[in-house]
Amino acid sequence: MPPVKQLWFSALNKPHVRDKYVQRVREIDKKIGSFLSFKLEEQDWTALGRKPLGGVPVAVKDNIAVRGRKLTCGSRILENFVAPYTATAIRRLENAGALVVGKTNMDEFGMGSSNEHSALGRTSNPWDLQRVPGGSSGGSAAAVAAGLVPLAVGSDTGGSVRQPANFCGIYGFKPTYGSISRYGLTAYASSLEVIGLFAVDIRLLETAFETMHAEDEFDQSSFSTNISGSEVKKIAMLDIDPGMLETPVAEAYTQAAQILRERGYVVEKVNLVTLKFVIPSYYTIANAEASANLARFDGIRYGSGSGYSQNPINLIKEARSRGFGDEVKLRILLGTYVLRSGFKDQYYIKAQRVRTLIRKELGVLLRNYPLLLMPVFPTQAFLRADSEMDNYKQRLSDIFTCLANLAGLPALSVPIGINRGLPTGVQFVAPAFGEKSLFDIARGFSEVFPVQFPPGALEIERMR
Amino acid sequence: MEQDEWAVTAELAALKLSEGEKKRLVKQAEQMRKLYLSMSSAVVDNLEPTTHASVVKNRVRKDEVKPFKDVDTLLDASNELDDRFFLIPNVL
Repeated sequence: MPPVKQLWFSALNKPHVRDKYVQRVREIDKKIGSFLSFKLEEQDWTALGRKPLGGVPVAVKDNIAVRGRKLTCGSRILENFVAPYTATAIRRLENAGALVVGKTNMDEFGMGSSNEHSALGRTSNPWDLQRVPGGSSGGSAAAVAAGLVPLAVGSDTGGSVRQPANFCGIYGFKPTYGSISRYGLTAYASSLEVIGLFAVDIRLLETAFETMHAEDEFDQSSFSTNISGSEVKKIAMLDIDPGMLETPVAEAYTQAAQILRERGYVVEKVNLVTLKFVIPSYYTIANAEASANLARFDGIRYGSGSGYSQNPINLIKEARSRGFGDEVKLRILLGTYVLRSGFKDQYYIKAQRVRTLIRKELGVLLRNYPLLLMPVFPTQAFLRADSEMDNYKQRLSDIFTCLANLAGLPALSVPIGINRGLPTGVQFVAPAFGEKSLFDIARGFSEVFPVQFPPGALEIERMR
Repeated sequence: MEQDEWAVTAELAALKLSEGEKKRLVKQAEQMRKLYLSMSSAVVDNLEPTTHASVVKNRVRKDEVKPFKDVDTLLDASNELDDRFFLIPNVL
């Protein structure tokens, strides 16, 4: 059982500590804004003590269904929608004793890298309130980084778990596509998106993943394939043009390689010829799928609708135009465009063929190296409304994270300490179902770089 | 590309864009479309399109009806009900 689980259980099983905990979460989150809703419900604490995640509070991104709680996806169109069922991944966590305490803020429908595209509130980075927590699962990352919960669930379509984890200085994990059921996830791009995890502790993350990993009759793309990991001796390190990375990110990247070499690994620089095609291919496919997946939101059976219109089509248009924000409209527009008759072969089919090319190159690489070391994002957490990091530049900066989504591979963002007052980190990518290699390497790093908390974070050990 | 093409696309996407939105979004959409075109240099002639990330063969459920047990919760999510029917706004 992870020690972090014991720490939280032994604190929260005392009623007076639970009251203090809830009060402290509310105080801290007034500044950070990680939660859209927060409620610690009554539990049978005796029974929880026997469960592997008993008493561990968990935050859940608000695009994942938890019965009886709102499921807004950070959007006006679902602002008052309450989930009628619980996602399989969350149900499995709850069966293991984890306590869903709240739903977290996010970029609308998962579209964004800063949380600035949420229609329902602002989330700040706990390390610097003027900076973004990353996105799209920024609320979940901020909640863990601020110590409000030790574990949180997010979704990763092109880096939406790993990038905010990197910005907030915690672990961020994207599993192999299909290893965690997506039933109950409001995915915007079904072939790319997976449910992922944030944690302060790698053992806790591993336990949570083992709990969630299973075939699910409600998700035909889920599999119970054994999770493995080979003995890692040789690691590929993506050769990066130094100009691509901000100085602290480049320093962390070099430092990570240095530590690996000191620990006896052979680290060899490699190139990916197809890297330049990752962003155009990813955004073509993701937006095409978004335009199809979001077509269901018409405000008629559920969600915010239009009060009156002259014809049924306008009724739907009104609901969508009022309910969606700019980024969502842009992506639906682009997705519809690349699927249009006459343009489909040039854009969408081409992107799918390029995806094959990328997967092939990555497949060859990972046959020779059991792990690939890469940066997570070219910069540390950037300032809110940063003119140097507009929406277009943010999309281009997803280059290191989208790769694993296009190939369906597992990847883990690992913190590498604090540099110039902000967290830095790197990510590792493994072959499909090779999660154990990721956890093993992260355990080694955790001895050198344990997760640090920003000043003012909640310290559960002091509440006991 | 013609501004009209984006207007047609918005129509197909069931989006009604204000003048301000048209100005902002069309500019950004054009920027992205040009980025997409950078894929043209990729040599993919003999490659099949990848349609899904699944690395293991897909499987399907038995084709049998299983009634959803909690219909009332779904009905509760509606904006307006008439008995057990969704009520949608009047249109002319």
